[in-house]
Amino acid sequence: MAIINQATKELQLKIVYYGPGKGGKTTNLEQVHDNLGNVQEKGKLISLATSSDRTLFFDFLPIEAMAIKGFKTKFQLYTVPGQVIYNTTRQLVLRGMDGIIFVADSQYEKMAENVESFQNLEDNLKSLKLNLAEIPYVMQYNKRDLPTAAPVEYMEFLLNNREVQVPSFTSVASRCEGVFEALNMITRMLLNKNINEGSRKPA
Amino acid sequence: MPGLPQLIDEDVRVLDSALDDLLRRSEARAALVIDKGGPLICQRGASDQFDATTVAALAAGAFSATDMMARHLGETSLSHIYQQGRQVSLLISNVDDNLLLIVVFPADTGVGTVKYYAADAIARMSAQMQQAARRAPGATLDLVSLNTLDASPVFRKRE
Repeated sequence: MAIINQATKELQLKIVYYGPGKGGKTTNLEQVHDNLGNVQEKGKLISLATSSDRTLFFDFLPIEAMAIKGFKTKFQLYTVPGQVIYNTTRQLVLRGMDGIIFVADSQYEKMAENVESFQNLEDNLKSLKLNLAEIPYVMQYNKRDLPTAAPVEYMEFLLNNREVQVPSFTSVASRCEGVFEALNMITRMLLNKNINEGSRKPA
Repeated sequence: MPGLPQLIDEDVRVLDSALDDLLRRSEARAALVIDKGGPLICQRGASDQFDATTVAALAAGAFSATDMMARHLGETSLSHIYQQGRQVSLLISNVDDNLLLIVVFPADTGVGTVKYYAADAIARMSAQMQQAARRAPGATLDLVSLNTLDASPVFRKRE
């Protein structure tokens, strides 16, 4: 849930990169960190990882951007560990989340893991008493450059086939292709959500 | 989970004042209030000597991981975690459903002293947050009078 501080004119939004292990979530954050234009103020990229560079707890990147006139908008980007055994950790990272970028691995042989991870996301949201249908999220089909990449239509059928289809993006995160597109879309969705809800008068 | 209510000047004044009193009485170096999801809400003291945003994210993770560990052991209430250092120590305390208090203090200051004064700060902050929640339970940001920037992307890739 967005944190709103009228006193300091700050809006804080938490975006979580979710998806199967080795799908490119950490690479997304690294690319945002390395390629962000000078206009925005970024903090340090923090990675709590194992000695073999697998995410153990989370990666974290704070960015300040001017998304709303007169309001400082602070974005906090997190990844979750993708490996199945770290489910409890994923639940912790989801706490206070405002929006999700689901990073799927496009390789055919990873489809079962993609589906399992998406199901796991829904289950974890339920455990936090949240409903995926009410949360802004986008799909990012990563590793499109690999020879075994499945057609986008197939991935849409498997992963984005609900009553309301969400925006989806193809990406090659290692080359920073599609990374900013997905991030900007989820940002726009989050700002719209808060503006629309903010227009309601408090009871 | 209702989430943190929208904060106005009065709320931030009370939080700041509670932290200032805590720092003065306990002689701690810095105090932060953070959301349990990781964002930093306010900071007082010498918090400019470290990266408060990162400390907030890590403290939220540490507290929630310890809380989950305690639950697996059958303990349902976690009120503090304490890290003892050689130069500085750290106390992370539960404030309410949404907030944590982080106190950074010299290692030679007793944690009991910090906990004692933190209790008063926690009570004041918790009461103020209850008031904030009653004031506008469903309100989020009132942006009607503000303009979002044009539809251009918020995040721009370096050319």
